[in-house]
Amino acid sequence: MMSSAFSILFGTTVGNPETFWLPEQASTAAHSVDITFVLINWICYFFFAAIVSSLVFFCVKYRRKSHVMVTDGPTHNTTIEIVWTVLPLLLVIVIFVVGMRGYLDLQEAPEGCYEVQVTAQKWSWTFDHPQYGATQVAELTVPLGRPVRLLMTSKDLIHSLWIPSFRVKMDVIPGRYTSLWFEATKLGVFQLNCTEYCGKGHSEMLAKVHVVPADEFEPYMVKLASEYEDMTSEQLPAYAINRLYNRCQSCHTLDGTVSTGPSFMGLWDRVNTGAVKFTSGESLSSLLGSMTEYGVPENYIRASILDPQKHIVQGFLGAMPSFQGQLKDKQITAIIEMFKNLEDLTDADGNITVNRDGTPKE
Amino acid sequence: MMSTSIYNTDASTTDNYLNHTKGVFSWLFTLDHKRIGMMYLVCVLTAFFIAGVFAMLIRFHLLTPEGMFMTQDQYNQAFTAHGAMMVFLVIIPGVPAALGNFVLPIMLGAKDVAFPRLNLFSWWLWVFGLIFFLLSLAVGGLDTGWTFYTPYSIDKTSSMGGVIPALAGAFVLGFSSIFTGMNFIVTIHRLRPAGMTWFRMPLFLWATYATAIIQVLATPVIGITLLLLIVERSVGIGIFDPAMGGDPVLYQHFFWFYSHPAVYIMILPAMGVVSELIAVHSHRHIFGYKFIAYSSIAIALFGFLVWGHHMFTSGQSPLMNVIFSLITFSVSIPSAVKVFNWLATLYKGSIVFNAPMLYGLSFIFIFTIGGLTGIHLGTLATDVHLHDTYFVVAHFHYVMMGSALIGFIGGIHHWWPKMTGKLYNEFWSRFAAILVFIGFNMTFFTQFMLGSKGMPRRYATYVDVPELQIYHVISTIGSVIMAVGFVITAIYLLESIFRGRKAPRNPWGGRSLEWQCASPPPWNNFDEQPVVGDCYDFSVLEWDDEEQGYHWKEGVAHPGEEESEIE
Repeated sequence: MMSSAFSILFGTTVGNPETFWLPEQASTAAHSVDITFVLINWICYFFFAAIVSSLVFFCVKYRRKSHVMVTDGPTHNTTIEIVWTVLPLLLVIVIFVVGMRGYLDLQEAPEGCYEVQVTAQKWSWTFDHPQYGATQVAELTVPLGRPVRLLMTSKDLIHSLWIPSFRVKMDVIPGRYTSLWFEATKLGVFQLNCTEYCGKGHSEMLAKVHVVPADEFEPYMVKLASEYEDMTSEQLPAYAINRLYNRCQSCHTLDGTVSTGPSFMGLWDRVNTGAVKFTSGESLSSLLGSMTEYGVPENYIRASILDPQKHIVQGFLGAMPSFQGQLKDKQITAIIEMFKNLEDLTDADGNITVNRDGTPKE
Repeated sequence: MMSTSIYNTDASTTDNYLNHTKGVFSWLFTLDHKRIGMMYLVCVLTAFFIAGVFAMLIRFHLLTPEGMFMTQDQYNQAFTAHGAMMVFLVIIPGVPAALGNFVLPIMLGAKDVAFPRLNLFSWWLWVFGLIFFLLSLAVGGLDTGWTFYTPYSIDKTSSMGGVIPALAGAFVLGFSSIFTGMNFIVTIHRLRPAGMTWFRMPLFLWATYATAIIQVLATPVIGITLLLLIVERSVGIGIFDPAMGGDPVLYQHFFWFYSHPAVYIMILPAMGVVSELIAVHSHRHIFGYKFIAYSSIAIALFGFLVWGHHMFTSGQSPLMNVIFSLITFSVSIPSAVKVFNWLATLYKGSIVFNAPMLYGLSFIFIFTIGGLTGIHLGTLATDVHLHDTYFVVAHFHYVMMGSALIGFIGGIHHWWPKMTGKLYNEFWSRFAAILVFIGFNMTFFTQFMLGSKGMPRRYATYVDVPELQIYHVISTIGSVIMAVGFVITAIYLLESIFRGRKAPRNPWGGRSLEWQCASPPPWNNFDEQPVVGDCYDFSVLEWDDEEQGYHWKEGVAHPGEEESEIE
């Protein structure tokens, strides 16, 4: 009742498009947050107009006309002091209550939420769908009109998950869980940001939220969970560069530029010939061959993904986290196939040139 | 006519605090509060220039979504250097240490602060703090942001190598701030002259007193926290490190327990300056003196209880969030009361639009916006969306830069004739004040929309929201206008030292005691203890064309004389 009265008063209805102040609304929370925001705005407009117009009026009316001291103005008035103390106090109490109710309403996730486990690490987002055994990176697909709960933790630093169009945000903290929930009200793609400063790749720790119709959601997740299992080795490289590389891209470039980690360009050649030097002074060539640690060079890549601190390439800090438990064997195979075929997947500038199904990109 | 000599005889123009003794060492090791204040002023303005250059680098870099010319690491160092220097080296010491040191003892009719040696030591600590900050840039850089959040700041694979020197720098600067605060509290308690009761003090002194309380009570907490952080990073004791069972969020509580009150260390003295600016330059008795005075104390006390509003999305319990939100609103009331009283002071005044007054009026306009947008952030439902976005960046620049720093610059203009004995150029000073006002609002008003529409803080690029570029472009243009204003200010102020007209004793018609000693003040400020009246009663002054300043009205008795007649 109260909320519909506000809606009429402030012209916000569910699913509003972008306004002067706010991005479009795409969740149930967005509507309730915006009502509070617009209410506060109007109070601000009123006080701003009152203060600035009296400021300007006094400045014009009482501008100095001569050096003669004019001293007939009042110096105090207890009544007016009490009025302008108590009135704003009442007003901020109202705002506090409205904001508190809006906030508390959104604290308890409703029954029967669809649950997604979120893992943040420098500088990517991983979304696990335990119900389907599917994993997404830098992409989160959710059903329209069904409450979704994100159970979140971090592998390294404090991060924070924000979806502006949903008006939800919560810090993601190492060593504990935090959670938030939302119910999407609009189909489409929405931005997701990290909003807690986490170093070099902070501004690239992005993801997209895809809201799909509820009846398309389940088939999509089932397909996603198993898509690589039936693939032939020809299909794996295109799959890896489109579905898995986004977890690597904040540190490993495709165009030869050195970033936090070595570039993937030419990586297979360097590994295959053993031309990689480690911080220990050893070189990879001494570890390859039938009687040595890795035997075939593919095992070195596998070890670098699952136990990246074991050998650190010269010139780098060893900032890579382990992907143990996050990638299935076939996905690691796909990544190795991606390295071997990188020239067919990218152009000279490091742009990806194929779609996931192997067809060339427009 | 004993006391007439205090008001009307001109102190010797040949002997004043600037030329009383000569040589660099007579300045570096001086115990004179005026010289220490001037050294602070020079140092703080130098740091302001350096930190301002970093700000311009940030603004130009963000002209395009991909970023113009810095790598991400360089960008992170730029915003860290900008924030850390502006907070610890410029705004916190700005008004109290530079202007306060110069003006406070004179306003009290005293010869100096209570502990002159401690005062000199505070200044030296500031210099050491600066050296530590520069050292941190030299030994590997600093990219933690000015907040040093854990676990980022203790993770050596994440943050750069300069963290420990920077923490040491902030620690040392904390002591500088504590000593200044202690000094001012004791000075105000012990060195007030005959007749100056608490409620006859200029409001600038009330604000400085409230600030000093916070400096003394809150700063030790950040000192201990910074020490813990140094030990954690160097030895790994596991108090903040989640990998060792520590709690990274605990650091945020410790940090904001100081750093929220620190916001009031920055804004309260500027509010004190503005109370002087508005009253003196409209020649109107300040309206609601007691309410303005008490509101300073109220802000200082409430300020200790609201730190949790920086952590609404940190995972702390909803109950704590609700309590912190409620207390946060209590701070907004004394701030609003001040604004209303300043407005009422303008009513029936005689308002002159010189540079100090333009800065004072700018302060009221900008602080109104800064304060009102604080409501969006104190309200729980909306803060969840706005936290850690450019909306917050815009809000705290409206308060810390547009208010605290503009108050500081207004104060410099107000007391410049007293400090240097010279008048600056009227036209250029007004022109620059207007440029700064326009530039400031262009730079930061756009950032409200940036934040609420989806731009997080501390982003080196914004490739996912390229449609927000237009706001960044307007913001950068605004920052250029503001920078031009500041450059003009630097030029005419420097020019006035060499070629400025000689300042009269009382160019604006102020009544507090500093306008009763010569410009610049003599070495001992006052030859005899002055007697104090109502420092906002301007009716006893009149304009003297010959002197181009104000002096005591003929035939009106001085406060001391009336009392002695009654006796």
